[in-house]
Amino acid sequence: MSLDLPMSEQPLYWPVQRRRSRGLWPLFCVVAAFLAAYAYLFPGLLSIGGLSKFTQSWFPLALVSMAQAILMLTGGISLAIGATVSLGAVIAATTMAGPLGVSGGMALVAAAGLGIGAVCGLIVVRLRLPAIIVTLAGSFIIGGAALLILPRPGGQIPGWFSDLLAGDTPVAALLLALVALVWKFYLATPLGLSLYAAGENPVAAYRSGVPVDAARIAAYAISGLLSTGAGLYVAAQTGSGDPVIGQAFTLNSIAAAVLGGVGFLGGRGTMRGALAGSLLLSLMINVMFFLGLPPVAQYVAQGLIIIGAVALPQINARGRQA
Amino acid sequence: MSDAAASSPLARRAISVLRSGPFLTVLIVVAVWIAAGLTLAGFGSYGHLRYILELAAVIGLVAAGQTLVIIGGGIDLSVGAILTVTAVGVPLLAWDADTSGGIAVVAMLAVAAGIGFLNGLGIALLRVHPMIMTLAMATFLQGVLIIVAGGSAVSMHNPVVAWLGDARPFGVPAGILLWVVVSAATLFVLHRTPFGARVFALGANPLATSLSGVDVNVTTMAIYAASGLTAGLAGVLMLGMNGQGYVGIGDPYVLSSIAAVVLGGTSILGGSGTYAGSIPGSALLVTITALITVVNASAGWRSILFGSLILGLLLLSGREAKSR
Amino acid sequence: MSAPIIAARNVSKSFFGNRVLRDVSIELRPGRIHALLGENGAGKSTLINLLSGALRPDGGKLEVDGVAVDRLTPPGARSAGVAVVQQELSLTSQLSIGENIGLGAYPRRFGFIDYKALARRARAVCAMVGLDEDIATPVGDLPLGRRQMVEIAKALYREPRALILDEPTSSLSAHETRALTQLLARLREQGVAILYISHRLNEVMALCEHVTILKDGAVTADRELAGVSADGLVRLMVGRDPGDLFPPWEPNAGGSTIVSVKGFSSGMAREIDIDLRRGEVFGVGGLIGQGQEDLILGLYGAQTASAREAEFNGAAGVPGSVLKANGLGLAYVPADRKREGLHLIHPISFNMLLPGLARAHALGARDRAAERDLSRSLAGRLAIKGDLARPVQALSGGNQQKVALAKWMPSAPSVWLLNDPTRGVDVETKREIYGLLRRFAAEGAAVLISSSDTPELVHLCDRVAVMREGRIVARIERAALSEEAIVSAAMGANLPENVA
Repeated sequence: MSLDLPMSEQPLYWPVQRRRSRGLWPLFCVVAAFLAAYAYLFPGLLSIGGLSKFTQSWFPLALVSMAQAILMLTGGISLAIGATVSLGAVIAATTMAGPLGVSGGMALVAAAGLGIGAVCGLIVVRLRLPAIIVTLAGSFIIGGAALLILPRPGGQIPGWFSDLLAGDTPVAALLLALVALVWKFYLATPLGLSLYAAGENPVAAYRSGVPVDAARIAAYAISGLLSTGAGLYVAAQTGSGDPVIGQAFTLNSIAAAVLGGVGFLGGRGTMRGALAGSLLLSLMINVMFFLGLPPVAQYVAQGLIIIGAVALPQINARGRQA
Repeated sequence: MSDAAASSPLARRAISVLRSGPFLTVLIVVAVWIAAGLTLAGFGSYGHLRYILELAAVIGLVAAGQTLVIIGGGIDLSVGAILTVTAVGVPLLAWDADTSGGIAVVAMLAVAAGIGFLNGLGIALLRVHPMIMTLAMATFLQGVLIIVAGGSAVSMHNPVVAWLGDARPFGVPAGILLWVVVSAATLFVLHRTPFGARVFALGANPLATSLSGVDVNVTTMAIYAASGLTAGLAGVLMLGMNGQGYVGIGDPYVLSSIAAVVLGGTSILGGSGTYAGSIPGSALLVTITALITVVNASAGWRSILFGSLILGLLLLSGREAKSR
Repeated sequence: MSAPIIAARNVSKSFFGNRVLRDVSIELRPGRIHALLGENGAGKSTLINLLSGALRPDGGKLEVDGVAVDRLTPPGARSAGVAVVQQELSLTSQLSIGENIGLGAYPRRFGFIDYKALARRARAVCAMVGLDEDIATPVGDLPLGRRQMVEIAKALYREPRALILDEPTSSLSAHETRALTQLLARLREQGVAILYISHRLNEVMALCEHVTILKDGAVTADRELAGVSADGLVRLMVGRDPGDLFPPWEPNAGGSTIVSVKGFSSGMAREIDIDLRRGEVFGVGGLIGQGQEDLILGLYGAQTASAREAEFNGAAGVPGSVLKANGLGLAYVPADRKREGLHLIHPISFNMLLPGLARAHALGARDRAAERDLSRSLAGRLAIKGDLARPVQALSGGNQQKVALAKWMPSAPSVWLLNDPTRGVDVETKREIYGLLRRFAAEGAAVLISSSDTPELVHLCDRVAVMREGRIVARIERAALSEEAIVSAAMGANLPENVA
């Protein structure tokens, strides 16, 4: 209130960041509670090794949730996330052990992600076609391409690279921190912050001089990059490629983003929320696994939990209103 | 100023029909059939076209409910799982007293409609987004199906279902007749009843609809229940044509039904469209699939072709041009 | 005189063969506040869109600083120094005030947004418009009036040479309006060209020096404002005498009570006691956002409400749902007709028929002939012209509002609840709406109207309740009704009894 700084010297960036977390505290608390429960069930979590292993199981989901959240912020959506993850996985598994080597393979995976995303974005934005349909059709094309590259599970990721990413190291945690940091930087650029305006009110944003089309196409490209990146990581985890390994990520990415408070209509939500949502989902899956539920029952439980988790805030909100 | 011909109501109506999505889709289907019939041996034969229509009936049934849901501003991604539920459930539900098999069919259709009703309940009362609600429902059902049926196919010995799959009263396959009946009912409900008007209103502006006195919750539950029911009917027909049901039998119909609806000119954004477009849309999809099968490509290429063709048709029609 | 900063010369524009502007010329000169007046649908918005590059004229040309430009694009207009405060807010609710103000024109440093410079400049423009909120506040947290101020600050941030304001005061309080007026006077001193669009003639008279009036897409006046009376302006806009804007008021009291609530609370509205009688028009006044909307939505059953005692049309208790409210004879006409009242993509006739279809048997066959007759007769009664199969969004704002009213008429409601039904509506349509409301009352209905337009309450209503901070702070009977009484009660300065 009575700060000594002259008014024009008060900062803007950090207060804005703080306020953006507002409304997310209930979610953060739920996540913390689940973390505590998980740590109680599995005390091994509270070690470098345990944390590393857990981050590794969370990492791909975190990436695809970000991939989905970026699109949802611009008012789009992708039903091709799963197929793109698969494509990333098979590209990595078929190139990295070959003459291109690990770095060549990584470059290819990144180029594929950016390229696919940019093309999807161009079709949706420039040709004004509905994102749901374009990405649904796109999932067939991308999934088909994955099948062409690798018709059945196989390929190989060099052992040392697998160990580096998914072995007994906290690399996944570091990578996640890095991705989050890069996102922060991106959001501090005019193009990055345009996402919100382009998603909520594209016409008005365009009239204000916001590069709406560029922001949306860039979002699709980044989304593609994050998805193939997740695929690369999944391939490193298993040591090989599988052309349908990504399927479950489509639903889970949407669920995590929605759990994290990202809205479907554009301009609503935050990336930190989406990350928290993906962590929550990941914890639920892990807890179920440790409770010894059979894999099939996990499907059932997962369906119920997602509906419950999405519905609860609504019921709460209405309770408050009354 | 407009000329005299365009101002007469009849001429205007004729022009609007010629320009409409459904009519364009019919034109595309006919053009593809003629082209394929001339170039591919056997494609244009009566038997083959009848077979294509039989397959289209399955998509068309699923698309009937999907059309209602999409016009109402939602989307149903659980239709594939619901179709599987009836296709697997009817054989499992066989018991001796039910000699005709009719009770099993009716019971499973009630289950299918019930599942759809639950979708609507979650969407209307719990305010869960349709995409999340129906995807989660699909995940849930998939788990239940694997527990109940396991991984193997179940064969059926159900006279009613077998009749539906094989019989050809008046030379027309029973499945196609079923499709005709459901189509007529869907078109009537959408365009000739107050309920249909409420669905159009709901999809265009839910808030204004509710403030106009429409019971939005009941309408929402009804369209999802209808979607469950038509997906269930498609499951029964599929079972009749296949002779057995297995987990995963309905999976392709999620995309197919949505694509049929959108190719038929219904807006994915809700509020406008017609089932009259979804009918040729279904036929178009099956035709594409048949052509891809003829080409005899690998699974990967088939998938790529299918996706590209849908995308291409969408670009061609370009109807969803959103104003900005 | 210096050259106009931006000017249109004999521009024309048509949409789908419909002439919206014909040979219109306008000059925005530095240091002048220029009023643009006209009824809804007269072509004002189209003209603004031409001047800001959002649309291209079919004929005529645009000039910047006296030089003709081939093609004016939005970026071109911006770099020429033209800034527009649109009627429809263009803000992003999740971004902060500061981030919204700089949107599309952020100061940069190494490719990143320079938040320090942004904060400095945003605070400067906020101070100019009198916006004292923390600029880190998300815009979504602000009430409508404050958002409008952010919108104006956003335009000023671009340091415009020509500022176009489209109905800037429609959601501002009296206090905010005063601040804006002072600001505009200061900008005039600095040599900014200002184009001011408003339906509030007293504001225009007080503020502007020059006026251009559009009627049906053509200029009917382009002159100094000095020496023209408000009545004269209205005549130029509508081509008629304004004296008959309000229908003659006839005492109509003595009807039976149809709605009675005691201790009614809903949302912001707290502890409200109201009796509505048949045959009366009951006004609810006050500043914007004092709980009037919550009161109406609560009575209509559209949001949760409670009351110690309540009776609606003989039934005890609050309706609790829109369905029940409709069953009890209540009808609701919203302020935000596009969001709450209409289905823009659907035909005019569809919108008119919907409440009836909501009550009809769900799966019974619709009688197309009867529906057509009904919608035609409604359109006839309300003077809505043209093909009823057109989507409602093709209509002008005033005609849209008439459709939002017409849809309830077939069910002959016994209680009308109207929230600011004339917001953004042209004079001619206002007159028609006032006539309709009085007629509903004369036919035995009770009409409750909330309005931010004080003359409307004074001339139309039998009684007025004034709300402040969710409560009724004054009740004024017909005999004591005056603009001063309502305004002073709304401001909470003193009770109406003390007003001279």
